[in-house]
Amino acid sequence: MTNQIKTDFDKVIKYLKPPKENINLRKKSLNKFINLGFPQKKEEDWKFFDLNQIISSNIKDLKFFDKELFDKKNKILIPKNALPFKLFEHNKIIIANGAVHTIDFRYEDLKKINITNTAKNQSSNTNHSLAYLNSAFTTNYLKIIIKKNYSLNKPVILYNFTNEKITSTNINQRLDIVLEDNSRLNLINLFTDYSSDNFININHEFKVGKDSILKNYKIDDKENSNIKYFYNNIDLDQNSLVENFILSSGSKFIKNEINCNLQAKYASAFVSGIINLDGAKQHEIKTNINHLAENTKSYQLIKSVLNENSKGIFQGKIFVDSIAQKTNGYQLSKALLLNENAEFDGKPELEIYADDVKCSHGSTSGSLDENSIFYLMSRGLNHKEAKKLLINGFLLDVVEKITDLEIKKLIKEIIGVSE
Amino acid sequence: MLNIDNLYAKIDKKAILNGLSLKIKPGEVHAVMGPNGSGKSTLANILSGKQGYEISGNVSYENKNLFDLAIEERAHKGLFLAFQYPLEIPGVNTSNFLKTSLNAIRKSNGKKELDALEFLKIVKEKASKLKMDEKILNRQLNVGFSGGEKKKNEILQMSLIEPKMAILDETDSGLDIDALKIVANGVNTLRNKERSFLIITHYQRLLDYIKPDFVHVLMKGKIAKSGCMELAEELEKVGYEKL
Repeated sequence: MTNQIKTDFDKVIKYLKPPKENINLRKKSLNKFINLGFPQKKEEDWKFFDLNQIISSNIKDLKFFDKELFDKKNKILIPKNALPFKLFEHNKIIIANGAVHTIDFRYEDLKKINITNTAKNQSSNTNHSLAYLNSAFTTNYLKIIIKKNYSLNKPVILYNFTNEKITSTNINQRLDIVLEDNSRLNLINLFTDYSSDNFININHEFKVGKDSILKNYKIDDKENSNIKYFYNNIDLDQNSLVENFILSSGSKFIKNEINCNLQAKYASAFVSGIINLDGAKQHEIKTNINHLAENTKSYQLIKSVLNENSKGIFQGKIFVDSIAQKTNGYQLSKALLLNENAEFDGKPELEIYADDVKCSHGSTSGSLDENSIFYLMSRGLNHKEAKKLLINGFLLDVVEKITDLEIKKLIKEIIGVSE
Repeated sequence: MLNIDNLYAKIDKKAILNGLSLKIKPGEVHAVMGPNGSGKSTLANILSGKQGYEISGNVSYENKNLFDLAIEERAHKGLFLAFQYPLEIPGVNTSNFLKTSLNAIRKSNGKKELDALEFLKIVKEKASKLKMDEKILNRQLNVGFSGGEKKKNEILQMSLIEPKMAILDETDSGLDIDALKIVANGVNTLRNKERSFLIITHYQRLLDYIKPDFVHVLMKGKIAKSGCMELAEELEKVGYEKL
């Protein structure tokens, strides 16, 4: 891999032409990545998701450069049917094969939004190997600042689109969003993959200012054979709130990692998610909720439905700093295993250094209750319908956590859950 | 309607039913009484298709072998069991469940499925007859329902489905006297020349309101004695042991 990655790196620099000091940052990142390599299962955070092994057994030819991407004449066409469902009015960011394709904030006051799109990337909030890989190769450094006191009129949908023409097998994407004080943003990440067997490495970093609200919904629903790592860092200021929802079901492999730093009092973080898998898919949600100030609150609810020989993983951590008194932290994970070959790995963690806190966690896994199936069937439902109704019921309370009604409706439509 | 002939049932090698025979004709109401562990609920479970029993003997329903029918097919063909312990199904809206159930049965009988409005009209009417709070329809199925609400919900389902043969498994247990009357009234309203009932109970009190045509005493997995309402009254006085 080392020779390939170095050659590809030189090509990326040649075509991308970033400013000189940025080349140095990228070079440093590259070297760090080469030293560290892909995460492996011997690392605690990756013990259920051996990325190194997953990549080596699923991607034959790991390549980091895509010439097409830099050819301006070759603007990537996005098929009209790329989105199977009807969507509400929204602003758009389209990332195609890892590069910014469209930015369209047609519903907003553009004086209130500052968008930078450059090749000159910034260093990341985290220092694990994938962040280095990201900062060595990412094509665009996209940064969006929502100005003070501005609430977006419509949600933003960030389309992560890939097509079959892509020649690189690795895509890196970086986005930073700053919500200045008292601002609001609803952001939806929608994966639409037409590529296969790629490793997609995404790093989104958020700063949520005082009294601001960020709602972020991630939808990975379209069937694809890609491997994804989606990292989020979210810094929360006083009295700010983040609502995060993950629908994890389309990719062959995906690890969603959410790092929330509740840095000032009255900040709160809500993370909920659904892992709904079939085949041999393997999905992980990993959270680090760091309570770093007094009176902060967090709530996590993850539900997994695992068919065939799929594998679901939830590693959820609540950390409470010694100064973070009056913390309220909650975490619950439930998994439904529908096949004896399905697997669920859960690792709940509480690390608490303050004494006046309220923290709890729970984790259960099991199969569908036979008596409930019998009850429903005795009312005329066949086995399949009874099972569907029970799974529906199992998932409904997570979907109900979504506070944006349009998005709640969309998610219900996607997973076929009704009330 | 229902003809049970020499029915034996075992669970984990333990014999529960030992040659039970019972014949129910259209329009008849039969009560089966018996002490704890006599096999009453097993009988109800086997008739509605619960798995896990080792069974021998014959049961015919409308002149067909009942054991050839899958659980849901029995429901489609008009067999209904009101559960002793109705299950709590989190996340499943009661009204939605009732509609799904009713439409599954209607569909299998070649009838038009009801749309949301048609269904709502019917279910509200039936619920009010049972003096059920309409709000219950929007709650999760049986979740957090009181004992009485759960049992009334079973009777509500029965009155929506209008089965040909209804089995009530200890529907009276856990009911106060007012609820008991309402439940009995729910059954009596459905009584007609074609519809049959099998009412399983410990006590006479439900039978005071329903007035069965026949009363059977189930002991050690078979019918020990059959008679009419007087038998229930006698049992109430002397208990099962004297039989």
